[in-house]
Amino acid sequence: MSETAEYYRDRVVTALVMFSIIWAVLGMLAGVYVAAELVWPQLDFGQPWLSYGRLRTLHTNGIVFGFGVSALMATAFYSVQRTSHVPLFAPRLAWVVCYAWQLVVLVGGISLLMGVNASKEYAELEWPFDIAITLAWVGFAVVFFGTIATRRIKPIYVSNWFYGGLIIVIAMLHIVNSLAIPVTLTKSYSLFPGAQDAIVQWWYGHNAVGFLLTGGFLGMMYYFLPKQAERPIWSYRLSIVAFWAFTYSYIWAGPHHLHYNAIPEWVQSLGMVMSLILLAPSWATMINGIMTVSTASEKLKTDPALKFIVLALAFYGLATFEGPMMAIRSVNVISHFTEWTIGHVHSGALGWNALITFGTFYFMVPRLAGRPLHSVKLANIHFWLALAGVMLYILAMWGAGVSQGLLWLSLDELGELRFSFTDIMASTAPYYLLRLVGGTIFLAGAVLMAFNLYMTMAGQATVRVSPPSVAAGEAAA
Amino acid sequence: MADLPSDFWAGWITVLTVVSFLGLAWLVFSVYFSANGHADEDSPVWDETLREGSNPAPMWWFWMILALMVLSVVYLMLYPGLGSYSGALRWSQGGRLDESFATYAQEFEATRRLVLAAPFETLHDDERVMESAERIYEQNCAACHGPTGAGQAANFPNIVDDDWQWGGTPEQVEQTLRAGRQAVMPGLAAVLDEATISAVAQHVIAMQSGAEVAAGDPGQTAYATYCSACHGADGSGNTLLGAPNIVDDTAVYGNSVETIATTIANGRFGIMPPFAERLDDAQIHMLVAWLTRDSSP
Amino acid sequence: MNGVGLHKKLEENTGLLIFGILLVSAIGGLVQILPSLFQDSLMTPGENTRVYAPLELVGRDLYIREACSTCHSQQIRSILAEVERYGPYSRSSEFVYDRPFLWGSKRTGPDLHRIGGKYTDVWHEIHLTDPRAVVPDSIMPAYPWLAEREAGADGDIVAKLTALRTLGHPYTDEDIAGADAALEGMTELDAIIAYLQMLGTAFGREEAP
Repeated sequence: MSETAEYYRDRVVTALVMFSIIWAVLGMLAGVYVAAELVWPQLDFGQPWLSYGRLRTLHTNGIVFGFGVSALMATAFYSVQRTSHVPLFAPRLAWVVCYAWQLVVLVGGISLLMGVNASKEYAELEWPFDIAITLAWVGFAVVFFGTIATRRIKPIYVSNWFYGGLIIVIAMLHIVNSLAIPVTLTKSYSLFPGAQDAIVQWWYGHNAVGFLLTGGFLGMMYYFLPKQAERPIWSYRLSIVAFWAFTYSYIWAGPHHLHYNAIPEWVQSLGMVMSLILLAPSWATMINGIMTVSTASEKLKTDPALKFIVLALAFYGLATFEGPMMAIRSVNVISHFTEWTIGHVHSGALGWNALITFGTFYFMVPRLAGRPLHSVKLANIHFWLALAGVMLYILAMWGAGVSQGLLWLSLDELGELRFSFTDIMASTAPYYLLRLVGGTIFLAGAVLMAFNLYMTMAGQATVRVSPPSVAAGEAAA
Repeated sequence: MADLPSDFWAGWITVLTVVSFLGLAWLVFSVYFSANGHADEDSPVWDETLREGSNPAPMWWFWMILALMVLSVVYLMLYPGLGSYSGALRWSQGGRLDESFATYAQEFEATRRLVLAAPFETLHDDERVMESAERIYEQNCAACHGPTGAGQAANFPNIVDDDWQWGGTPEQVEQTLRAGRQAVMPGLAAVLDEATISAVAQHVIAMQSGAEVAAGDPGQTAYATYCSACHGADGSGNTLLGAPNIVDDTAVYGNSVETIATTIANGRFGIMPPFAERLDDAQIHMLVAWLTRDSSP
Repeated sequence: MNGVGLHKKLEENTGLLIFGILLVSAIGGLVQILPSLFQDSLMTPGENTRVYAPLELVGRDLYIREACSTCHSQQIRSILAEVERYGPYSRSSEFVYDRPFLWGSKRTGPDLHRIGGKYTDVWHEIHLTDPRAVVPDSIMPAYPWLAEREAGADGDIVAKLTALRTLGHPYTDEDIAGADAALEGMTELDAIIAYLQMLGTAFGREEAP
């Protein structure tokens, strides 16, 4: 099948989907392994590279940058062409971006296992990788905005606002947060000292979650959900409010990670109120999605892709309610530093990011392969495995986190701490085991999906050319 | 108080926050209460069925964001947030902590003062105090002396037997807790050869079993010269120097000939860190009571 | 012009859309980050705050290498129970020589900000090499390799101190000249313990909670 036979440039999309699935399985495997290490610490077998700290860093990086960003690039490239009615701008550059990114994640991952670590959460890769990331990201921006700039329909569709937000804001955050003085090829010192470094890092860290794991995936939702439901996105005006209020308020929320820390109170307060306001735009998008699918609810019975996307939206609603609550000073006193945070992150990462990506892959891969999904039944089994896995996981972490938070603060009748740290830590062991079970089930589902999608891709694909409905598009413009 | 570098930055924070906040309010109002850009059937078609609906955004959502914004404004009037304005409540982290300690004092100070004044014999029978003391132990001491106090890792002494290296009276135990202890057993590898060291070690074992010592035994001679000044001629130790009894069955570092020989050759410098700054008077008092109670089952 | 009308312009012009996103997303940082970078209290060292000695600095970088901060915070919040458990709450003046900061976000293990002096070096040696030898319930990984490697093996301590001096840390020429010698004969285990033992010691306990 030659490139000219296609109207859209989809082969780079296929490659990115494939890489994303590989990272998903590897990243989740690392996650399951570190979860097991918290139950049986001997599992590192005295090997530095298997040690918890290094492997856990690999887990978060593999998932966010390998699985997550590859999926975002794949879906952005897929949808931006179709919503712009033109093939991808600079397709060769798109391939460069694709492989450069995979190389960064691969070599970066190895460097993390070797103990090369800049220590800032979700920005652990050292300075040479930071430069490579910046360059690849600029390439991503050129391909994406280039496609939009050459579009053949006047209005830019809402999913592209969110993908655009992802690209611009992550670039800004990444560059500022990574500013450092290199010492050697594998070591640098942050330009910001102590408390200032903390403020900058959480501006980055919270908004890597905000604009990458939330905003970027909302772009995914705005394209794939109405597409799969075959309904218009419910409310244009709600889209506008949701996008701009989201972009405005999210960026302030970082300091809620630093309540009662050694930073000024005014920063914390502003972070807290904006986190509360953030509930509104987050839910605006959820409403927009749920209402869109509400008139096509009969599809939910039969369509695994749509089931994943809608369930993801439910977890999104849950996590974006939980987040503002945890940002409240008095709640944060209990939740901060506990497993509750881990539960919250995973109700987002598993429940929202992974599920919507799975749904999107079940949508895209048959179209990319030009054949129906290998097995709808397997996809349905995956759905239930994923749901069971994420529920077990977050219930375990809620249980562990809330009890940790309360027990740490508990005083006895004489005003002494009621429990030693070790006692409380030992009491979380059953929760850790439950979390391991949940994570393993979730991983099993992902492996099933990898098999299912591989079987779908395997074999001779039929050529599928899908020209845009240009007439309708331009009439409206 | 926010110690901002200058009024400029205080103004910068306040103005940018207020103006952008008003911008957000304008966006919400304006988009909610203006006509949709297009009717349903006029929506652009992006991709086959992909269009935009003209449904109004739900009013409950409007009230929700309005409520959240009002809440935020109220919060920023009460608490520090807008630059150097410290909020109507004059709240600060440090102030809140002071309040917490005041409440704490109100709730516990009287009881704690009673505990501090009580003689150890009374506290020994006070189950509540003994439980709290055990909690203090678990939080501060168990990492070294072990979860049950039996010592561990062939380095940290048993503190629930009645053998006290630095003395077991309440005063001595309190001194140990407050100021810490540092044992200084010099290594003798430079002055004794290996055979002699081994002989001394064997002599110590022999002393433990009360065996007769042959006159002129090199172990005994060396012991008398180098060890007895601190550990005593009979090996019963000297709590003033922190020289342990070496003929009982509570050796900290182990009681094999090899371990004893290592000790003699290299010396031992066991350290108990001071806790005077980590624990308050009541805590130390409770801990001393707990440590000096009759712990025999 | 109303919001929908304005938005028509934005969503039909790539450049305007990019500009709009940049503008709206920059506000939060301009308000929260920019003034913080000029705030004296966040940059002024406390009376006893000092730069890390070469061995401690190596230890700190090892703490980073092993990603200790994934499980241990170095930030005692100004909350009563936390002050009771860990000691005086953390002050920003104690962290001015910390690059990067290591406050952490999770306490799978306890906070370490005031761990300095709480345990003996021997305890740390045993604990880092085999945590369960002293804390039977511990789930901390063992780090047996620390004792086997030399603290100065990377040979970059002079470069490190020089880089930090560029950033304003008051290292003297003698500090830098003597850095290699300070690591002589020391293992990674010695380095990380030296770091742990100085953690949080800049703030006198009798001063305030």
